Amino acid sequence: MNKSKPSNSALLWLISGLTLGAIPHFIYQPIWVPLIFISMVIWRIMAIKYLWPLPTKRFSSLKILHLSFAGITFLLLFISYGNLIGRDAGVALLTVLLGLKLVEIKNHRDYYISCFLGYFLVVTNFFYSQNIPTAILMFVVVIIMTTSLISLNDGSKSLSNKGLVKLATQMLLQAIPLMLLLFVLFPRIPGPLWGLPQDAHSGITGIDDSMILGNISQLILSDEIAFRVKFDGDIPPFSKLYWRGPVLWQTDGTTWTPLHNDDLMSTEINFTTSGNEYAYTTTLEPHNKSWLFALDFPSKQPMSPLSHYSYDGQLRSLQAIKQRQQIHLKSNTQYRLNPNKDDYIDVALTLPEGVHPRTKQLAQSWLKQSAEPMQLVNIALRYFNQNQFYYTLRPPRLSGDTIDSFLFESRRGFCEHYAASFTVLMRAAGVPARVVTGYLGGEINPVDDFLVIRQRDAHAWAEVWIQDQGWLRVDPTSAVSLQRIEQGMSTIMPAGFNTPLFIANSQKLIDLWQQVRNNWDALDNVWNQWILAYGPELQKEFLQKLGMAKADLQTMVLWLVIGFAVISLIISFYLFYHLPKRDPVSKLYYIFCKKAARAGFAKSKHQGPLDFSTLLKHQYPHLNKQIDYITSLYIDLHYGKKTASVLDLQQAIKQLKFSQAMH
Amino acid sequence: MTLYFSQLFQKFNTLRGRRVFIVPTRFGFVYAGFLILILLGAVNYSNSLGHLLCFLLASMGWVAMHHSYRNVAKVEFINAYADPVFVGQAINFNLVVENRSHSTSYQVLLASKPLKSQSWNLFKRWGGFANSFTIARLNSIEKTAVNYRIPSVRRGYQVLGQLRVESQFPVGLYNTWSYFNSDAKALVYPIPQGELPLPKSSNTGGERTDLNQKGDDDFSGLNNYRAGDPLHAIAWKALARDDVLRIKTFTGNQGGQLMLCWQDVIQLSNTEARLSQLCEWILLADEAGLNYGLKLPNTSIDYGYGSHHRHTCLSALALYENE
Repeated sequence: MNKSKPSNSALLWLISGLTLGAIPHFIYQPIWVPLIFISMVIWRIMAIKYLWPLPTKRFSSLKILHLSFAGITFLLLFISYGNLIGRDAGVALLTVLLGLKLVEIKNHRDYYISCFLGYFLVVTNFFYSQNIPTAILMFVVVIIMTTSLISLNDGSKSLSNKGLVKLATQMLLQAIPLMLLLFVLFPRIPGPLWGLPQDAHSGITGIDDSMILGNISQLILSDEIAFRVKFDGDIPPFSKLYWRGPVLWQTDGTTWTPLHNDDLMSTEINFTTSGNEYAYTTTLEPHNKSWLFALDFPSKQPMSPLSHYSYDGQLRSLQAIKQRQQIHLKSNTQYRLNPNKDDYIDVALTLPEGVHPRTKQLAQSWLKQSAEPMQLVNIALRYFNQNQFYYTLRPPRLSGDTIDSFLFESRRGFCEHYAASFTVLMRAAGVPARVVTGYLGGEINPVDDFLVIRQRDAHAWAEVWIQDQGWLRVDPTSAVSLQRIEQGMSTIMPAGFNTPLFIANSQKLIDLWQQVRNNWDALDNVWNQWILAYGPELQKEFLQKLGMAKADLQTMVLWLVIGFAVISLIISFYLFYHLPKRDPVSKLYYIFCKKAARAGFAKSKHQGPLDFSTLLKHQYPHLNKQIDYITSLYIDLHYGKKTASVLDLQQAIKQLKFSQAMH
Repeated sequence: MTLYFSQLFQKFNTLRGRRVFIVPTRFGFVYAGFLILILLGAVNYSNSLGHLLCFLLASMGWVAMHHSYRNVAKVEFINAYADPVFVGQAINFNLVVENRSHSTSYQVLLASKPLKSQSWNLFKRWGGFANSFTIARLNSIEKTAVNYRIPSVRRGYQVLGQLRVESQFPVGLYNTWSYFNSDAKALVYPIPQGELPLPKSSNTGGERTDLNQKGDDDFSGLNNYRAGDPLHAIAWKALARDDVLRIKTFTGNQGGQLMLCWQDVIQLSNTEARLSQLCEWILLADEAGLNYGLKLPNTSIDYGYGSHHRHTCLSALALYENE
């Protein structure tokens, strides 16, 4: 039986399932991967519809062609990826091999292997995206694959396509309770079990640890979510929402870089916090770096992940954030960092030799007005404010010395231009200064009250060091565009940036669009918080919330077994037990019998309707006519030609009253 | 007390119904292997949707097991009946199965083996089934008759034996089956063959009633068809005319009496050859419309004619020294 050739309809179902599983990969795969896959699909479909030859023993030239396709694939894989082990290369290999296998399927074994590999293809989708649409796609592909398996096993085609899909869907729906049980209770093991390929988490965007003037403008236009924050109580004022990321000390004139990591680790930071304390939970999207982006300034390290303070006040995880992570944090918006001394003051005063001559000149000129650091800061801010500086997301290209040409020629730029040039000015005037990058602000989603911080909220500001006060935050952008600081990025984004162009003219439509987006974001957030973040820790937390006193392995397995038994019972009951169905006529006659029973004359099983009516008529002679009428109606409707009306029967039974019996 | 328990046990046994076996096919095992791989991958990458897919597929496998069981569990073998055949012809069992479940069963495979194996070895017990036949569809609460053909091997009674009802529907991950023991049997006549000519019939009887004696020389008229009448005598042209099946009757003066004796074939090398020769003769005599009888060492059958007589004679041959 297993040697027989799979039926054409089964093959077509398999082809559609595999194609649907492969399509999401096509977006980022080199063009030859979808090309080979799709041409194989077409080849097989043509073989089914128009009897094109397939690469079998009879057509050795086609077999050679097929083999050469495989050879070319391996060659192209090496050219495109340089190896076969990485994530992208592996997925490309799987895609192409499935395509090549498709034209080769000749028996049940080939068919099953292709089908199971198709499930693998679906899994590989999850390396790239785990959002709701991907999950829906997963369910659709599983239904189609199951349909294809049923079609394969229904060799005589007793089921129509609709019947096949119906059965597959039924099976999927019946599987969902058990799936949820397993998802919640199956003991989660913290990964990874073995090393991940180099490119396992590539393609994740976020703030970089160096700043080249002009680089952040790409981030600004990205609508991707960086992290979400849920405050336990009040939300701090908008202008205080500085989310601290990498601190940049060193510059060569255009590029800003942080201090060497080991230096920052070896020295203990000295800080005090005061004022309102804000407790909040951050759900950080993976960004493949270690910053936790705490609100400036975190008063304590979080319980998890393991993290530490660097000497310049970055809260960093010990391991790169490769998965979405929930972090419970507490911050105060008033703080002092290293107020008495800082070991790296020298670095904060260093400018490379021979660059920014005009900037240095300007700073030197300010020294004549005052040597007081705070005053110099104010002079610089006033300089930005009173000269014709503009805040723009699309600054002109800077040529030559970037800082000089920004300050004296273009005067158009965004946060990082201002932060960098301010820091250079301060250093030139002898005030220790550094650049801090991170995010500013965010948007409250009114649907679920989460503060959503997107990549476009990325920001750069400066810090200056003043004896006894420590590092003070100065945001030179505020001197140019208060709007950016106080109302957030979305107010200065170009109109229609995050709305489709065709509705950009109508404010109503834009508002509607925004509302839809908010709802979707909130849904997405629930998805992230509960489904995607469900790992060992969340599992424990959730099970304890459910009332499991000790969510250890034993208890989980115990409940898993109990739930499993219960669900299996329900499924068996549903599949094997059938309630006897009563037609309306029998139901009405049953009511009639019940009435008689209440009057004291129950119909016994051996009595037919006629026998029973004789008995009743004997007891209730005055009801003779009615009883006869009911019985004749019932006999006609149940056994006879069904000419009588059910309504008549209903009426007659309703009107019948045995209580008038005369004894 | 013992009686009570044995009654209880019997009650339990009837409640439980017959035994239904369910075992994963090799694809079922491969499927399980794939699921483990997916789970390992999901754990390694801490991939939540990977977990979800793995659990979904595992649950589907579990649900499929119930569906697989349901497809076969309530399919009952009712009975089987087959007409006699000659050795070499296929026995055509008219086999009735009933689907007592409330859902339709699909792709149910029948297979049989003549003798139930009592071996401790499960593979031996489960193996040896042949002649599989697929029933595409069994409607719920309905009896279905199928033509189940098995090859005839030897003359005598051939039993249907143990019947296996099996299915891999719906997804082929499980093989579900159960057994029925059938006492249905088919009679297999010897193969009709032999070179010897038909012995001369004797017309010595004298009490010949010429008018009633049927032969096949001269056409005498049409009679309505009765079961057992020879096919070659059917009046096809008359049938085409008015849709009534008739046979042509002939009067022959050749139709004599013929006793087919074991002695006539004793010169043949073995019993089977002799029986085959006798079988051939009976068919020839029947076709010729002779009044014939059969004499075997252990039985003898008196003169007669017609399909019933023919069956009696052929059965005697089939069961000769082969009870």
